[in-house]
Amino acid sequence: MAEGKLFDKILIANRGEIAVRVIRACRELGIRSVGVYSEADRAALHCRMADEAVPVGPAPSLESYLNMDRIIEAAKRTGCRAIHPGYGFLAENADFCRRCEKEDIVFIGPNSAALELVGDKVRARRAMEKAGVPIIPGMKSVAADDEECAAQARKIGYPVMVKASAGGGGKGMRIVSGEDELRPALEAGRREAKSAFGDDSVYLEKYIEEPRHVEFQVLADDSGDTVHLFERECSIQRRHQKIVEESPSPALDPELRMKMGETARKVMMAAKYNNAGTVEFLLDRNKRFYFLEVNARLQVEHPVTEMVTGVDLVQQQIGMASGRKLSLRQEELGQRGHAIECRIYAEDPTNNFLPSPGRILYLKEPSGPGVRHDCGIYSGWDVPIHYDPILAKLIVWAEDREAACRRMLSALGDYVLLGIRTPIPFLRDVVRHPVFREGKATTGFIKEHMEGWAAEAKDGEKRRLALAAAAYLALDRKPASRPTAGAREAYSPWKALGRWRQGE
Amino acid sequence: MEFEFLIDGNKEKIEVEAGKGLFKVVGPEGALELDVRRISDNCLSLLHGGRSREVYHARDKERLLLWVDGEQFEVREPSEDSGGRRADDAAREGQWRIASPMPGKVIKIVVAEGEKVRKNQTLAVVEAMKMENELKSPGDGTVKKVHAAAGDLVDTNNPILEIEAG
Repeated sequence: MAEGKLFDKILIANRGEIAVRVIRACRELGIRSVGVYSEADRAALHCRMADEAVPVGPAPSLESYLNMDRIIEAAKRTGCRAIHPGYGFLAENADFCRRCEKEDIVFIGPNSAALELVGDKVRARRAMEKAGVPIIPGMKSVAADDEECAAQARKIGYPVMVKASAGGGGKGMRIVSGEDELRPALEAGRREAKSAFGDDSVYLEKYIEEPRHVEFQVLADDSGDTVHLFERECSIQRRHQKIVEESPSPALDPELRMKMGETARKVMMAAKYNNAGTVEFLLDRNKRFYFLEVNARLQVEHPVTEMVTGVDLVQQQIGMASGRKLSLRQEELGQRGHAIECRIYAEDPTNNFLPSPGRILYLKEPSGPGVRHDCGIYSGWDVPIHYDPILAKLIVWAEDREAACRRMLSALGDYVLLGIRTPIPFLRDVVRHPVFREGKATTGFIKEHMEGWAAEAKDGEKRRLALAAAAYLALDRKPASRPTAGAREAYSPWKALGRWRQGE
Repeated sequence: MEFEFLIDGNKEKIEVEAGKGLFKVVGPEGALELDVRRISDNCLSLLHGGRSREVYHARDKERLLLWVDGEQFEVREPSEDSGGRRADDAAREGQWRIASPMPGKVIKIVVAEGEKVRKNQTLAVVEAMKMENELKSPGDGTVKKVHAAAGDLVDTNNPILEIEAG
């Protein structure tokens, strides 16, 4: 990074693993960190790790992590010249960004005008279309009649999708692969839309077959110097939530990668965007790509980019926010090896992925060459019910994709988290799956291949060893904690851990 | 010495002999001689026939959780009256006990005591980690008892309502 003084102190307006990630970057840069915490988070890891910690209100995020007044006040009181918003909470809030600008506090992220533009999907798409960025072709307004629809469909190119204007949830949606199917699909779509929403207006959009979610990381300094740091493939999603991400994408070749990267730069320059951001694309099976939206923040999955490019994105963000010029040159950037990330959520894969907050009784983080664990939890901590279920991210790097898959499986197999449920067994089966293994997964992967997932039957030998260990632990307990003989309690199997009868 | 445990909800007996050094498990599947070392408060190292296995363990009030080489097991006290999990949600003599499927906060109770409800009607909403979960009536009936109110924190299997079938 070029010269220019960094901030002395930064307030991190977030919690959990991302707050910990930013605290680490601050430490390495010699910047003091100020954490904020809600009443539910006094013992949270980010609160313990920050140099200073300020309470910002009750447990519900609206009253604490989303409370702009309290956050701004905390920054002023502790003498912070800058705020890092992390992801979620206030990260993409243009009001907050403007508030910071007004209070003369640097918001570590894009300027408020760019944030506002990319935050408005309709405006952003229009702006990008004008700038020559490919967007999903579709009608701008509701179809007047079938004739107009047929003309539009020819223009868009089949297959097309009939969508309800008032729509959502797949109601009124029909996929049409040729002109002969159009009229009946329009009729059915209108009927369905009418009964679902009381409004029968429909429109057409290009149907993207077997789409993949491919996004490009971009960095831009205040002078408009803009580079991209290649792609992340995030097609493995459940309920529109990413769960496994990687870089490079197995779907791109060098030529397409360069083209998409250049388009991503164009998007950010058109939006007059600065700092770190991500341009999301859908990639269809014929390798045509379409702009979706800009994520105006540091993303959850940023580590896979860091692993393959060797660039610390958080330190870059802080450097650019303090006015430094970007020292990275596009032609000097490259991807080396392969990185995969698995998100570790507090959720129960055997109970429909319902949240699983509660006490972490024991945690052993996986380690080894090429293994990184971005973690916001520790043994003994109570995971509160109030916030996002993300606990940690397991990231591996290896020389190629297959080696990275094997390293991920080994690390997941070495990850011990007792007390609350996590999707670790599910993630192992995702990475093991032949479709994923061959790099052929699209956004439909979880639905098509993992629906109704159940963990494999447990290994009989391990089960026997578990029982043996339970018995050993029962016998090995210190005499002080042994129940006294004679009392009813003496036979409480739980006190002794297992009901035992001597001499049988 | 014989132990009886509930492992993953199933009653299981295991007979062990704690000898000098080796820990012997006997049973129909044959004997198993284990060399056990306590590594830390949460870790045992097992050697059996030269095979090395790590066991991590932790407990709370009612469970002992064990991790054996990537697989997790839950061990509980065998209760007097059951051989496995209680069928809380099943109809017992025409009655349903509606419990929270996850630890969380009751956002609202939609019905009142004495109210008639139909199958699949939403009775209450529980939220955790920004995810709302609607509790629905398993059948037609009458709300017999409401155990929780909006704002209450509930744990998994905490009763929220009782419905009388009919």
